[in-house]
Amino acid sequence: MARGSEDPFPIALERGPRSWARDHLRVLREALHYVSERFSASLLVWLLVGIALALPAGLYLLEKNLVDMSAAWDGRPGLSVYMNLEVQSEAVENLATRLRSESGVATVVTTLPDQALEEFQTHTGLGDALDMLSGNPLPASIRVTLDADASPADLDRIAASIADQSDIHEVVVEKTWLARVRDISSVVSRLSLVLAILFGVGAVLVTASSVRLAIEARLEELRVQKLVGATNAQIRRPFLYFGAIYGAGGALVALMLISTTLLVIETPLVSLFSSYGSDLELIGFDPAFLLVVLLVGTLLGVCGAVLSAGQRVFELEIH
Amino acid sequence: MGYIEFHGVTKRYANGYEALRDVSVEFAAGSMTFLTGHSGAGKSTFLRLLLRMEDATRGQILVNGVNVTQLKSSRLPYYRRHIGAVFQDHHLLAGRSVFDNVATPLRVIGMPEKDIGRRVRAALTRVGLLAKERLLPLHLSTGEQQRVGIARAVVNRPNILLADEPTGNLDPDLSRDIMSLFEQFNQIGTTVIVASHDRELIQSSGRRIIELAAGRVVADSGPGQVAEVTMPTSPSMDSLAQEAAGG
Repeated sequence: MARGSEDPFPIALERGPRSWARDHLRVLREALHYVSERFSASLLVWLLVGIALALPAGLYLLEKNLVDMSAAWDGRPGLSVYMNLEVQSEAVENLATRLRSESGVATVVTTLPDQALEEFQTHTGLGDALDMLSGNPLPASIRVTLDADASPADLDRIAASIADQSDIHEVVVEKTWLARVRDISSVVSRLSLVLAILFGVGAVLVTASSVRLAIEARLEELRVQKLVGATNAQIRRPFLYFGAIYGAGGALVALMLISTTLLVIETPLVSLFSSYGSDLELIGFDPAFLLVVLLVGTLLGVCGAVLSAGQRVFELEIH
Repeated sequence: MGYIEFHGVTKRYANGYEALRDVSVEFAAGSMTFLTGHSGAGKSTFLRLLLRMEDATRGQILVNGVNVTQLKSSRLPYYRRHIGAVFQDHHLLAGRSVFDNVATPLRVIGMPEKDIGRRVRAALTRVGLLAKERLLPLHLSTGEQQRVGIARAVVNRPNILLADEPTGNLDPDLSRDIMSLFEQFNQIGTTVIVASHDRELIQSSGRRIIELAAGRVVADSGPGQVAEVTMPTSPSMDSLAQEAAGG
């Protein structure tokens, strides 16, 4: 005889993906409930994780905008070639043609002595003084602008390629401020990487300790679950969700902090940019950035939970 | 061959104390047995070894032909799903309702909520606590808490039901009620082993009694009554058996 036909409990051991998905959904609901029940403590964790994420994410935005600004401004990398006074316009054009053929060159603009004199008179108002001179003291010149992604080494290479020209009086390489901006963005980039690692570890530790507290608060429940046949994965699962919730919540806080900071500094930045004749257009704070910050925050939270729950659940004894 | 077999089982703790010494005993499928003996005789250790809450130092424990002492830890949860356990101190979750406490084993196996509701209410009806499903254990009497523990132990329809001093805190009337519940579950084919030092209650049951003293079996009243049922071998127990056989 099979087990009691009067048995009120028919066998229905559930397995498979539907059961797995159902369990995940239930655990997620319970985790959200647990976190919302302890809202003030959870808020503290979110703030800590949020601050930890906001700094490297903010520095990333700063670096991205610095690179963009260095490319967009008129101060694009370039060089000015000043010819000897007696050089003919054909020689100037020949050199300009040669420079145009160099790789990395964006624009080449020639200014002949007469044009230079005219511009000088227009911009300085010293036309009468120049009339007193016997001749035009201004040389022909060539202004070379490089592509936005050109490096200081490209400038040096192009300058070296024309160094042997006897018609040239002087070559002025305009890389000083470019190199500074690049150095600054490099510092910011490396700083944000170091801070991302340090604060990322911080976020993981904050989450790990919070999850550890949650585990300790639920030890009796975990023991009962183990007693009735829960696997280690099942026991660990709620805590991974805690970690994900803490991480994702922290990421949201980080995004709020960054957007608030941008709002606060917007007015002085607009003023600063307009003084350079440029419109402020911050880049990088876009949906892709929001998604990445959210994903990274969630991932760090889960890492913290794995760190904390893995060993503790494995060690868990049933008493 | 018994459904549950202990072969020369010894449990020695790190401090040298031997809680069980060379215990060999068998239990038929569908039987109901009392383990008795003084405090420290080894009753609880016996049950804990059977549940693999602890590992035996020596010997073999076979359940339905599976050597559970050699089960991998990853397979233990699936083994435990076939065993219901009742403890003197209930092990109920204070912050969860009666319903949620009883539903715990069903949630572990991933049963749909609508089926869980049906099964939990059936179990609570059986132990007479359906009207209190929404209460917290704190709001129940000791006897009621014990019945919640029993409902949780049987809700998953285990093959084996273990009870460690289930009437330890109860008055004689409540103790008889609890024993009556165990007998009901035994009658539907569950193999029941109850550890108790309440000799009066045990002797009035007419069931098999195994007496332990200082970790040894010192008396065994014999097979006693066995429910006339054939224990099914569920698919998961089959896979456990194959695994133990190296399959």
